[in-house]
Amino acid sequence: MKNQIIIALGREHGSGGHYIADMIAKEFGIKLYDKDSIEAEIVSDGYSEELIRKMDEKPVNFFASRRVGKYSNSLEVNVAEKTFAMLRSKAASGESFLIIGRCGEQVLKDNPNLISIFICGNQQFKLMRVMDKLGVDAEKAIEEIKAVDRSRKNYHNYYCETKWGDARGYDMTIKSDVLGCEETAKMLIAYIRSFMEQE
Amino acid sequence: MFAQIVAICIFLAMFMLIILDKFERHYVTLGSGALVLVLVFGICMRSMSAIWETLNFGAFFESSFWYGASEESTAGINWSTVVFIAGMMIMVEGLGKAGFFRWLCLTLAKLVRYRTVPLLICFMALSAFLAMFIDSITVVLFLATVTLELAQTMKFDPVPMILSEIFCANLGGAATMCGDPPNIIIGTSLGYTFFDFIENTGVVVAVCFVLILIYFTFCFRKELKRAEQANGGPVTCPEPSTAIKNKAAFLSSAVVFLIAVALLITHAQTELTVAFIGVIVAALTLVVLGLTSGKKSVIEIMRGVDYQTLLFFIGLFVSVAGLEKTGVLNVIANFIMSVSQGNIAVIVIIILWVSAITSAFVDNIPFAATMIPVIRAIAAAEGMDIGVLAWALSLGTDLGGNATPIGASANVVGTSASAKGGYPIGWGRYCKYCVPATIIVMAASTVYLFLRYL
Repeated sequence: MKNQIIIALGREHGSGGHYIADMIAKEFGIKLYDKDSIEAEIVSDGYSEELIRKMDEKPVNFFASRRVGKYSNSLEVNVAEKTFAMLRSKAASGESFLIIGRCGEQVLKDNPNLISIFICGNQQFKLMRVMDKLGVDAEKAIEEIKAVDRSRKNYHNYYCETKWGDARGYDMTIKSDVLGCEETAKMLIAYIRSFMEQE
Repeated sequence: MFAQIVAICIFLAMFMLIILDKFERHYVTLGSGALVLVLVFGICMRSMSAIWETLNFGAFFESSFWYGASEESTAGINWSTVVFIAGMMIMVEGLGKAGFFRWLCLTLAKLVRYRTVPLLICFMALSAFLAMFIDSITVVLFLATVTLELAQTMKFDPVPMILSEIFCANLGGAATMCGDPPNIIIGTSLGYTFFDFIENTGVVVAVCFVLILIYFTFCFRKELKRAEQANGGPVTCPEPSTAIKNKAAFLSSAVVFLIAVALLITHAQTELTVAFIGVIVAALTLVVLGLTSGKKSVIEIMRGVDYQTLLFFIGLFVSVAGLEKTGVLNVIANFIMSVSQGNIAVIVIIILWVSAITSAFVDNIPFAATMIPVIRAIAAAEGMDIGVLAWALSLGTDLGGNATPIGASANVVGTSASAKGGYPIGWGRYCKYCVPATIIVMAASTVYLFLRYL
């Protein structure tokens, strides 16, 4: 039985990834790290809430940034590195948690207690959810889904060896529209529980 | 014509890939260099001699490569630059490991009794001075690290100091032949000495340094004084001696540094080339550190050398040779001459300001390497002294890079070190202080070039 569980959950926009993550975290009584909680963790004198909110999980602007060896002037990169350092530190301390996005599956790939999941969904399912959540028409919802997914993909692929959403980079990829969000969450909880029971 | 188009396409693709930062930049230039050798020289021009001239291996077997006043071949890999930079990298790695830079910074901080405004002035001066002899990346990295450490203890915002250090490192690098990579390339390509740079760019850099010292002190003094007053009582900062782990290694590394400075200053008299000086300082560093710290430290130093940058230079020189040998750079030279209608003052202004504006946004090393054959062609066609164009190119590329966080490698390293230390510096804050400062030094350089050479 594992004493620690770290769940890295990637998601397509509108797939219900955050909702499912919330259910899983509650079920296991572990902390969920998303935009708000990450902001609270890494905010400091130099890194204001506003800056983190603006740069968190955002792809690098290639025309405004440059890299020299391991150094980069990009604020997006620096906020990402701070987030990754925070995740590594939490994992090393023995804390169990669920991280949404932020390359969690790559950053913590050497941790034996890590399980990585990617949630996707068919276009119609995602569209309905985004229209409902944002109160926008289909055209705007499609644009929103495309923009957010492009941003997440560029962010992920800049830091990771594996491609965003590629099944080979995760322990499990699942379409949430097949069972619906609740049933998908239940299935994943069972999957994670089996993983935790392993030595 | 077809060879020209292929060479331009390869070069533009290389530049775009460097900007897009998708791949390590040495892979980009090496790949681009390989394409130039195969496609441009091999297939389009069917010229084996162009390939051999570009690879320029014969340079190592010429006595002038090591000794005597020399001028590099007009196209191809500038091995003098590569060997010199490699040698200096080894020396700097040795100095860093021995704690030399940290000791120097902490000693100065102690000398000014950890008072913020004098510290700002001291670190600006130290940054400019060190950057005259060693690469500005190392200078900024060590200064920024100590500044962040002192800022934590003395409770001041380190960003103003780091911005000033970055600016002064680029400024100091412009003063000498070995300070900034563009100057090394200009110096070795056109056969200038250390003193040629001191007498030409060094003079205006000294004036600019005074202006910048006043400017940054004026910008930041209130903020720094306020922090000092708020902090109140005495501060406990790390003692300079804590930087030294091995006294023998420290002293011997410092002596090697002084020897390097002496060799560079006197190389016009001794007739030792910068390539030879690079080999001497590298060998001395490895020998003294081997004797004082053991074989392990020698291996560590060799591992610490930035081979990627050396490979970047090699690929870059080949790519530029593609443009030069196909005559593309002559076209650019002719274009500049037609725009200026042969007016030397206009040519100098174009070289200076185009170099500065370009260097503010793209890597100044490829730009300088590309522009050398251009200014050579202009000087030959106009029958003018190439010196003024060389100094305009040097000042433009070195000083223009100060304007933005991506303009020079030192800017990237300094802002990144600051961000890692908890103080991110965005474009807004960087440009707010450094754009006016860049305009000041560029205006001073323009006036200087006009008064002295035109």
